[in-house]
Amino acid sequence: MIFSELYSAYYNAVAAILSRMLKGECTERELQSIVAERAFGESVLSILPSLKSGKWQLACPDMTTALEHTPTMPMTTLQKRWLKAISLDPRVKLFGVEFPSLDDVEPLFTEADYCVYDKYSDGDPFEDEGYIQRFRVILTAIRQKTPIKFEMINRKGRVVYGRCLPKRLEYSEKDDKFRLVTAGNGYIGTVNLSRMIHCAHYTGDKPLDSGEREMTYDTATVKLSDDRNALERFMLHFAHFEKQAERVDGKHYLIRIRYARDDEPEMVIRLLSFGPMIEVVGADSLKTRIIEKLKDQKKCGLK
Amino acid sequence: MSTYSELIKNFEKIRAYMREFYVYGFKSRDEYSAKSARSYDDERRRMESWLGDHMSFVRTPEGKNMFISIDSRSIRHNPFYHAWKAKSFTDGDITLHFILFDILHDPAVKRSISEILQEIDEKYLVGFEAPMLFDESTVRKKLKEYCEAGIVVAERSGRKLYYRRADSIDISELNDVLHYYAETAPCGVIGSFILDKTDADSDAFTFKHHYITGAMDSGVLAALFDAMREKRTVTVTNHSRRKDEAVENRIVPLRVFISVQSGRQHLIAYLPEYDHFQSYRLDYLSDVKQGDPTPRFDELREALDRMQGKMWGVSIRRNRWGKEQLEHVEFTVRVEDFEEHIVRRLEREKRIGTVERLDAHTYRFSAEVYDTSELIPWIRTFICRIVQMNFSNRAVENQFKADIEAMYRIYGIKEGEEI
Repeated sequence: MIFSELYSAYYNAVAAILSRMLKGECTERELQSIVAERAFGESVLSILPSLKSGKWQLACPDMTTALEHTPTMPMTTLQKRWLKAISLDPRVKLFGVEFPSLDDVEPLFTEADYCVYDKYSDGDPFEDEGYIQRFRVILTAIRQKTPIKFEMINRKGRVVYGRCLPKRLEYSEKDDKFRLVTAGNGYIGTVNLSRMIHCAHYTGDKPLDSGEREMTYDTATVKLSDDRNALERFMLHFAHFEKQAERVDGKHYLIRIRYARDDEPEMVIRLLSFGPMIEVVGADSLKTRIIEKLKDQKKCGLK
Repeated sequence: MSTYSELIKNFEKIRAYMREFYVYGFKSRDEYSAKSARSYDDERRRMESWLGDHMSFVRTPEGKNMFISIDSRSIRHNPFYHAWKAKSFTDGDITLHFILFDILHDPAVKRSISEILQEIDEKYLVGFEAPMLFDESTVRKKLKEYCEAGIVVAERSGRKLYYRRADSIDISELNDVLHYYAETAPCGVIGSFILDKTDADSDAFTFKHHYITGAMDSGVLAALFDAMREKRTVTVTNHSRRKDEAVENRIVPLRVFISVQSGRQHLIAYLPEYDHFQSYRLDYLSDVKQGDPTPRFDELREALDRMQGKMWGVSIRRNRWGKEQLEHVEFTVRVEDFEEHIVRRLEREKRIGTVERLDAHTYRFSAEVYDTSELIPWIRTFICRIVQMNFSNRAVENQFKADIEAMYRIYGIKEGEEI
């Protein structure tokens, strides 16, 4: 069962508090910060008082405990089953790690039990040896905060050389691709991993800027008419953005979505997919692009 | 009168609230009429406590509207997982939990129930003014619960039953794996539970186009996976938006269909009573009860495998005699010089069907599908270059063309207008 106190933030916070107590004298402030880190906004009002008052009989009022061992819990069958399921995923080879023995564990699911039916078909070659090797070099460099050098094929098909400080890997479930978010790579903020052909740790002495390129954001403002269940479809479709909606009247809504300017072309086609159920009223550049597309469509003479 | 707590006993209530606040977020307090004002205040306060800065509000003439707004590209962990970590428990539950695992601190330590009871009283609770009383049946029940969860093992030696903690698994190498899959794999919240027990954090991954709402359906999803693994029927409650009342159905769950473009998850199942296949929105399902194993599971899943070649999304259309009703979809786009990316888009975004090159500047997509209307949003993304279309379902084709005309009107584009 997923919804169980065994996984609760309170149990985790109490385990961390008891571990800290076992290490020796600790301050109230230290324990409060453990609660703040491990549990929720108001947890400090209940966890420490419950321990101190003896409501939970695990610690004395002086914040010592009769427990003798650092609290730990073995993995539940559910956790092992999930772990087994991901150990069967082809992408796991990217990480080059040995999974613990789970021979007697039934996976929670296999590839036959679910289907991601609308991801793009030109995802990264996760099982390609060269790709795996480059992925691992990058992951190590991110961990160690060290620079890399690489060769990649750019959009024009040319091989280009670059050096950068890799910051993180951004994975898109829709594209099924990893992009490397970099610093110190001139004006290029991200590099598609599948475009890289060579990658190694950089040991040269060229100084690299460690600041990530600042992302610029715009706001799409959309008027929506709730026909054909458009409101629910639209709000779910754009759920992963920062957004705000307000009802204008019975079935009309005004929705503002904050999006990265680099993603404007993608935003245009995503908005177009909602047809006449929406009207884009801002930003100007977004609206202009949509109008241009419609004018071009009109010239196609579709009857 | 009950007092407020951050913790909850029942996940279903908060599941509905979180969706409302996150997906829509424009309703005022008064509009949550189905629930009491007190209930609304408590749930809102819990969400604020769990989600902190992700909660916002706006003042409108109708009052203060609370909403959850998250750019999932900027976060490393799904904040909705917090809700799954808020299960309530009793004072006895938490006390007993830590004491039991302190007694059973190593897999080599084995104790009988009487030994455990004696240690609890004499070692752990003796220092308290009013020590809790744990009788044998309470401790036995808790140990049974832990054996079922797989964290305690019961072993018989002679006539006596001994308990020990289950063996630990070394996951020290799996930090990056767990961080990645906790966000991308089905039921990723379980990965998050595993990570909670480790101290290692990771800042190596972020996620784009990342729908985090599915987290709220993890309980239903896990129960359906259980049924599929064991080839069982289940009974589910379906709260479809098309019906006022929730409906209970006995179904054979066959496969979960996850969309990474719409944020929706569906279950395709077979309904034995009606002898047909149907898709269900996962967020409309609740209360999954496991039924009996069915010998037809493999045969039904093979049938679904065959049907998938004609499904654009999750719609399966058959007439009442079980005969497939297929529709032909075809549209042609114009591709200018240096627009090879459009051809690549057609190839990579099509899920079924074929793309044909008609000449240097025209390409045609065609497919036989159950439901033409499922392709419409995708076809609209090619607006600006659609030169011809031919749907066997004329009503959908006419609607598509009428919609384009409506868009011209919305944006004030008139006949013969120059760019």
